[in-house]
Amino acid sequence: MKNTSIVLGLSMLLLTGAANADDDCEGSAPGWQPRENLRQQLEADGWEVYRIKVDDGCYEVEGRNEYGSRVETSFAPSTFELMELEREDEDDDDDERDDDERRNYQADENRQQSMPSNGIVKGRPSVSVE
Amino acid sequence: MKKYFVVVGFAMALVFSAAASAREVTLNTQLTNYRGDGAYLAIYLTDSNGVYQGTLWIAGRDSEYYKHLRGWARGSRMRHAEYDGLTGASITSGRTLTMTLNLDDSFIDNGYEIHVDTAVEDRRDNRSDVVVPLTSDGAGKSVSGRGYVKSFTYNF
Repeated sequence: MKNTSIVLGLSMLLLTGAANADDDCEGSAPGWQPRENLRQQLEADGWEVYRIKVDDGCYEVEGRNEYGSRVETSFAPSTFELMELEREDEDDDDDERDDDERRNYQADENRQQSMPSNGIVKGRPSVSVE
Repeated sequence: MKKYFVVVGFAMALVFSAAASAREVTLNTQLTNYRGDGAYLAIYLTDSNGVYQGTLWIAGRDSEYYKHLRGWARGSRMRHAEYDGLTGASITSGRTLTMTLNLDDSFIDNGYEIHVDTAVEDRRDNRSDVVVPLTSDGAGKSVSGRGYVKSFTYNF
């Protein structure tokens, strides 16, 4: 019985630690800056932002940084301080989903270089965004 | 020697006839000032019955989101060969995508239509945000979209 209590107590401590570790960003919602401000700031730095969502109290941004690398990053919503940066093409995690994403990304990059093959468009179009 | 000239002449005739059958078309797609992430766009051709004929451009690089370009996804079945070499970055609010491409002459004034499907993360998908007939008369005329497209024009 005593052993059970000790094990339970230790488990609770571990769970509390895990919960705190998950909650990466501090500050309450009223102090948050709009995510649109973060988008504008990142785009001004040369980023291409795919999406911004709230995760564990942080703004989680998926996109490409100014060097063209695909990244997943967390920012503090009140200060836009960079909390975590993960470059998806350098991730050593063996998780199957991540591997699939990487393969898709590389295939997509290869497609950027290739010429159209659908028989409708002759040659690669010239494209610009203003 | 005579045979050689005949072959060269024939090859040149083929090249010139192929070049003559393609027309340079410029498409301008301006987005509204919506609130949200970069928009994914599919610009593609259908016949007059709305049957998919081919992809002109896909704006947006993550193929996992292509299913939200619903009309295009259904017609193209999202096969890689349909959009190989025809993809680029997504387009953010208020910006204008300008693209110039060489299109076979047979698609002009023959009942074909240009469609633009649009989608934005966590917002509504717009199948056929824009639909315009591809005709000489329609060139240079601005058309409003019903979703994220503020205006769409094409010119030859």
